[in-house]
Amino acid sequence: MKPAASLPPDRQAVFRRAERLSWLTIGYLASTITLLALVLGSSEALKTAWFDDVLSLFPPILFLVGSKIAARKPDVNYPFGYGRAVSAAYLGASVALLGVGAYLLVDSGLKLIARQHPSIGGIVLFGHVLWHGWVAVPVLLWSGLPAIFLGRAKIPLADALHDKVLLADAKMNAADWQTAGAALLGLLGVAYGLWWADAAAGALISLDILRDGVSNVRAALADLMDRRPQNLPDADDDPLPAQITDFLERQDWVDDAVVRIREQGRRFLAEALVVPSREAGLVGNIARASREACELDWRLLQLVIMPVERIPDDVQGRRPDRPERGEDAQGRRPQQARRSGAPAGAPPAGGA
Amino acid sequence: MYLLRRRSFWALGFATLLAGCGAPRDPQGTSARIQGGFMKVGVAENAPWVRFVGDEPAGVEPQLVREFAQAHAARIQWVRGGESRLLPQLERGELDLVVGGVTSKTPWAAKLGPTRPYVEAAGDRHVWLAAPGENRFLLELDRFLQGRGDEARRLLQAERGA
Repeated sequence: MKPAASLPPDRQAVFRRAERLSWLTIGYLASTITLLALVLGSSEALKTAWFDDVLSLFPPILFLVGSKIAARKPDVNYPFGYGRAVSAAYLGASVALLGVGAYLLVDSGLKLIARQHPSIGGIVLFGHVLWHGWVAVPVLLWSGLPAIFLGRAKIPLADALHDKVLLADAKMNAADWQTAGAALLGLLGVAYGLWWADAAAGALISLDILRDGVSNVRAALADLMDRRPQNLPDADDDPLPAQITDFLERQDWVDDAVVRIREQGRRFLAEALVVPSREAGLVGNIARASREACELDWRLLQLVIMPVERIPDDVQGRRPDRPERGEDAQGRRPQQARRSGAPAGAPPAGGA
Repeated sequence: MYLLRRRSFWALGFATLLAGCGAPRDPQGTSARIQGGFMKVGVAENAPWVRFVGDEPAGVEPQLVREFAQAHAARIQWVRGGESRLLPQLERGELDLVVGGVTSKTPWAAKLGPTRPYVEAAGDRHVWLAAPGENRFLLELDRFLQGRGDEARRLLQAERGA
């Protein structure tokens, strides 16, 4: 199934634009990687800039390939579908980012400690011998400037599609001007005779890669650990769980409801534990409520409603919507003794 | 944001232009010192590239080194020895240049300042080794050697014939 087909019509055009930009990014990065490889020489700053560009290839490839994989319909072996494949690949890519960033930081640091002077001599271009550093300047400008525009174009698309991988891609592109700038300053420093400028610039760039790695690992882990959804790109909590809870509690056949949502790629899967007030027509009520809830937000793929006699204790203690029941949204208990004397988390008197 | 970026890029461009005058520089001032001064050149025996007539170095590379020194009005102080003794000295900056039929595959290339290969013989590309980080000196060596490929081959022929 084509990835765009699984999205609502108004998002399909956005997705196709994101696809085109991803291909453009891959082509552009291929050019910068080739050019940087030619002017690398023995400059630490250029080497880290090159690594940065190679690592930047992961997110767009992940976006394109991941979208195809996640769109596969669930089958007998994978009854929950293939959505998690993208999350796993995202974690792998983030760890790679973290690892390479750490390695480069240590590499640059060692060069500084060992006081290694970078030897950057001449390069032959069209029969003339030019200083290697000057030839690197236009290459760095090419690797830094167009990336800014690519990144800025992708951020609103990532927001509209609720796509973490695309957002990571956009942020890495938008920050490319810092990498190019640092490498340029490093080369200028070496040109002035400051031998440490090259390794220092390399260290700065690797710190940036490391930081990207850390934030991406956190996002990937949150995804795999079923953290409650966050708004992209602000990262405060998404209001959807509360919206669905409200919707369910407004139904006349519902007494109490607890909603848990987890993310699978771009879509949300929701589970609700519902204490019904009457059992007549329960199945029909549940089916109708599931359908209507999914119309609340395009990202919600399904709402599974489970009728229960009462909300279980362990779930009761963790509801973000009812903090006065014993724990606040962060799970901390209030300091003062409870008025009723009953242990926190006990079911309300009279049951369901 | 745009304005800030444009300003800093103008500043960068200006700095680049400034740096263009007189850059790249040598952290240890090698180029400035050899101009009209002296240069310490390590020579490792490796016929036909470097051989010795008594105590005087002769062969393809010492001949080219003499031409380079002449172009910079520098006196040469030859230091004779094996590669394993000369190269650590070069790394510490006690020598300016080491020649001895060194090829581009030398494992010392990462720690020292190899020139661009200037001639190819028997499948190996030959370089000279300069003190690490002396980039202006290295650039001047590169410029000098770039036009000397044919001359190097002629000298090599002559050495082999002799």
